[in-house]
Amino acid sequence: MITSHPKFAVVGHPNKGKSSIVSALALDDSVQVSNTPGTTTKKRSFPLSVDGKILYELFDTPGFQRARRVLAWLHQHDVRADKRPDIVRAFINQYRYDERFNDEIELLEPIMQGAGIIYVVDGSKPYGAEYEAEMEILRWTGQPSMALINHIDSSDYSDEWDRALGQYFKMVRKFNPMRATFSQHLGILESMAQLKEEWIDDVKISIDLFKKQNNQKIERSASLIAKLLYQSISLVDRLSIEDEEATKDEKAKIESKYKDSLRELEIKTQEGIKEIWKHKRLKIEQNILPFNGLDLFSKETASIFGLTKKELMVMGITSGAVTGATIDLLFVGHTFFIGGAIGAVVGGTGAYFGFDELSEIQILGTTLGKRDLEIGPMKNKNFPFILIGRALYHTSKIANRSHASREDIDIDIHIDLESVFKNKWLTNDEIRDNLEKYHKKFRQPKDIEPEILKEYDGLIKSVLVGLINS
Amino acid sequence: MSISSYLNLQQLLESNSVTIEESRSFGLTNLSLKDSPKEQLLSWTKLYQDRLKKPLLSDRVSSYLYNITFVLVILGFIFGLFSAIGLLSYNGSEPVNVIYFISVVIFLPILTMMLTIFSMFRANSAKSVLVHISPAFWMEKILALLPNSMSDNIKEIKINPLLSNWLIIKRSQLIALFFSIGLFVGLLGVVITKDIAFAWSTTLQITPDMLYEFLHIISIPWSYILPSAIPSQELIEHSQYFRLGDRLSENIISHASSLGEWWKFLALSTLFYAIFLRFVVLIISSFGLRYALDKSIFRLDGAMRLLREINEPIIETNAPNQEPLFIPTNGKYNKVIDSKAKKHDYSVIQGLGMRYDELLVISDSMGISASQYFIVGGSNSLEEDDRVISQSSDEVLLFVKAWEPPMMDFVDYLADLTNNKKVKRVVIMPIGTLEEDYKASPQNIDIWANKLSLSQNNKVWLKR
Repeated sequence: MITSHPKFAVVGHPNKGKSSIVSALALDDSVQVSNTPGTTTKKRSFPLSVDGKILYELFDTPGFQRARRVLAWLHQHDVRADKRPDIVRAFINQYRYDERFNDEIELLEPIMQGAGIIYVVDGSKPYGAEYEAEMEILRWTGQPSMALINHIDSSDYSDEWDRALGQYFKMVRKFNPMRATFSQHLGILESMAQLKEEWIDDVKISIDLFKKQNNQKIERSASLIAKLLYQSISLVDRLSIEDEEATKDEKAKIESKYKDSLRELEIKTQEGIKEIWKHKRLKIEQNILPFNGLDLFSKETASIFGLTKKELMVMGITSGAVTGATIDLLFVGHTFFIGGAIGAVVGGTGAYFGFDELSEIQILGTTLGKRDLEIGPMKNKNFPFILIGRALYHTSKIANRSHASREDIDIDIHIDLESVFKNKWLTNDEIRDNLEKYHKKFRQPKDIEPEILKEYDGLIKSVLVGLINS
Repeated sequence: MSISSYLNLQQLLESNSVTIEESRSFGLTNLSLKDSPKEQLLSWTKLYQDRLKKPLLSDRVSSYLYNITFVLVILGFIFGLFSAIGLLSYNGSEPVNVIYFISVVIFLPILTMMLTIFSMFRANSAKSVLVHISPAFWMEKILALLPNSMSDNIKEIKINPLLSNWLIIKRSQLIALFFSIGLFVGLLGVVITKDIAFAWSTTLQITPDMLYEFLHIISIPWSYILPSAIPSQELIEHSQYFRLGDRLSENIISHASSLGEWWKFLALSTLFYAIFLRFVVLIISSFGLRYALDKSIFRLDGAMRLLREINEPIIETNAPNQEPLFIPTNGKYNKVIDSKAKKHDYSVIQGLGMRYDELLVISDSMGISASQYFIVGGSNSLEEDDRVISQSSDEVLLFVKAWEPPMMDFVDYLADLTNNKKVKRVVIMPIGTLEEDYKASPQNIDIWANKLSLSQNNKVWLKR
């Protein structure tokens, strides 16, 4: 049967990770994946469509249940090799409504409608003769086929599988849907394209689109993180007070309100990131507390994601010296470059002493005798780096996460991150100083020009690219 | 581009009433707009603004702004008119001091225009102090005090500081312009209806020569067109007066007829400084507002996302239909034999999907033996399995690979085996791989137990 677009049916023994592979290749985490055999009972189509036009279609199918019986039926018809697909069609027609062969019909139907075969086996378990009936049936269909060796566990029986599968399939590839990187995903698509010459163009277009889409996802994530930083740094919260002076409780209340607002902004961004990377299931199941309760303002967070006091002081010195040097330049050096020196000292000590404070709490006079307590914008120079660190970490976890995975994100910060993650993205002082240059602008009571935010987006993106593709 | 389209776009973005598919469809049907994002946003807004709640907030806000501005413009005009009348009030005994009028029509406009231009440069700042001195700023405050429905509408608007500052700047210029027109009309009215004797007087040590020089500079803009509207040196000398003394000086009285000549200068000063220059600033502020609108639409929350939705292809990889929910059964199988129980020999040992030598090794490693060993399933044909069943009797031990799921092929075989009347009992024993020393994991045994629970065959036992 001639089809307008390439189709691929993912078939195999039950419980060998067919749905996981489909979930990973289709970037759809709504597929039911479990270690209980027989989770998939009906074939399900996953078309890759661009503006409604389908470029290729993947089919998730139930596993073989009575392969030997089907093969026995086929063998009853002693025909030439070129007529074998007709016999398979005849089987489908004869047993379409027979419940015993429901799973076989479901998996053979898309194949007989022109789908290429992707036969999935578990390379972490030994090869067995019971697979031969399945592979023989697939050979009878006459459709182009390839095999994917999935590794569900750590053991490795790939060699014996390679030898067996090589006798039945044009191509044998290894693919672990749980750990597959983006480039491995594209590699599998390239292999699928090789199954039939006329599929190559469509699948190549799809690969280019995936690359473009991936880049767009990184851009959108960077943009969300940049927005989070801008909103958090420039955030100002107010609280009405009755008396001339604010009480301790009132000060604590506004500080808590301010922190809650910042936490909310972070959670909102995390939700946005999950949406960009199409991890809907994770959106529902993950604990609302970001980072498993490792609070944004905890000392632990600061020690993992933030700058050290020394780094902060160096950054303050650099930033202060630049400001001072500008003054020196204005006076054509007649200040004997004292401006730069003073700037460096003030900047350095300012950054050092502001290590634990977030922002000043000010009392503002308003009309009718009422007063407002105001907190923000964020004065703490370390906070933006903590926030970026957490956002980058979260985004890289989400972006690199397989859609086949059904577990909550394992944010084992204590083992994974300490003194490691920061070094992954904050690779040099230039990045730190460049970021601080923008943070300084965000602290100003000004509406930031979109161009500046775009520049900042670009900076975040350059960091994110390294983390996601690493 | 108007404030209405800005507000409509803002509302549409907030309401999320347009789907991604619709936005992309708009992008595909309007490919000619691909390189002009502003036009894309405006056309998109125009296409979908019908989806907003009627009456449109933008219409209501525009109407309120128009009405309030109109009232303030009229008030400005009246204030200007009465200011002129007040400044030119002439009681017949003392001449009108032109310095007052010059201050209001030249110095005040120049000062306020300078402040305006300064505030234009600072318009991007969220806390621009200068807009606070603008009457239009207070106009916004007045709007907030209006009756409930009206003030609610105003509260709904979230305009970014750049745009709101430019809105205030432009409206301030309009009000100031009408104030100046009021001054001019008042001046003409008073000049026509009264015979005013103008003079000048100041506490400062200014000589008529100095004033002449100064007024000459001020009159440069019209000196070539209307030289008669420049006060002559004689007029300046003749019209100087001092407050000391009960009576006017002889000099003024003798030149009383020429003192009215000042009006031309005052009229031209008003026209040029208070009206023309203000009009120029108004035009600049109109351009500024347009620039602010252009910039602000891209700053709207969701505008960039919308542009992406319009211009980027929708790539879908998801299944269009929902998968039927799979509810796993968690059946327990009660007929269980403990694998640690005392071992005994079986009549037949079978291995499902195993090699014969493998079956012997497994049996041996477990210390179990039988009189017959058979391979079933796997690469066996169904006929071969049938032969094995017919040769089986009494107690059969069936080894199965625990890591492989129990399939219907196994269920069929088990049914056939237990249907053999010679077979009294079938013991299923899931085993692990060689690496696992043939010990199956409890999770895998559970899967087999679950499968057996579905058939509940009296002859079948599970060894675990």
